[in-house]
Amino acid sequence: VSKFLEYTLDKFTFRVAADRFYSADGVWAKVEGAYILVGVSDFFQQHHGDVAFAEVAPAGTAVVAGEPFATIETIKVDIDLPCPLSGAIVEVNEALDFEAEIINQDPYGQGWLASIEATDWPADQGKLLDPQAYFEHMKAEAESISESK
Amino acid sequence: VNQNKKVIIVPCSGIGKTYGTVSREAAYEVVEELRPEQAQLVALSLLVLGNDEARQAVAQNPAIAIDGCKLACASKMVAESGGRVAEEYAVLDVYRRYRQFKPRGIAELNEGGQQLAHALAEEVAANVDELLDAEGDQDA
Repeated sequence: VSKFLEYTLDKFTFRVAADRFYSADGVWAKVEGAYILVGVSDFFQQHHGDVAFAEVAPAGTAVVAGEPFATIETIKVDIDLPCPLSGAIVEVNEALDFEAEIINQDPYGQGWLASIEATDWPADQGKLLDPQAYFEHMKAEAESISESK
Repeated sequence: VNQNKKVIIVPCSGIGKTYGTVSREAAYEVVEELRPEQAQLVALSLLVLGNDEARQAVAQNPAIAIDGCKLACASKMVAESGGRVAEEYAVLDVYRRYRQFKPRGIAELNEGGQQLAHALAEEVAANVDELLDAEGDQDA
């Protein structure tokens, strides 16, 4: 079984990691031990371009599903990222302070944003897209963007 | 300073991109205002076309490439044209050092973009001086 679902459109190939859940905005959530790791999808980072700065709410901050928990500034836009779950941030990826480009280089690995202690993960997970559903959503979005150009 | 050599400035030619515009504005400032006698602009498109004069310029002088994105077309074309990239700037990296100058706009940069282009131009100009000093030392 492939670790990634892949979709190629023109010269771009977008990968969806098969081991996590996604919001429609392209924020992923993955169970890592007792906590939930969150980051952005490959499609998100390719669509929005090179990341200049990434700021995540500090450890200890209470987060609410659907509410912003991080801001990403790319060469194209500034984006307030909605959190895919409710809980409390327990750790922020400190590497983002000095090499935010890791979000572009490794969105599913080194480019993670925060680790969160979930309030009710089963409930929040139920509202997220599984990899196949996000893959279909992403394909439709990529095609729509391509057609509008 | 070596009077014969010039430093060649090759900026990004990306159209419709803010960071490409910053790279070109910085290059113009260097060759028109800050170091008009020491630096010379070579258009990336001439290198792509294989223009003899442009190729000769980068082959015979140190070149500074200013890239607007990670594709690094300016740096790559200098190298592929037989030139030596003496220094390579990526606008995004420069912006990370000057976060207060947030660039926006394409045909016309906002104030932050203009300030970023100016900061980049100052860095490039200082680099021009260093490169020509080094060339002079080698010729001595």
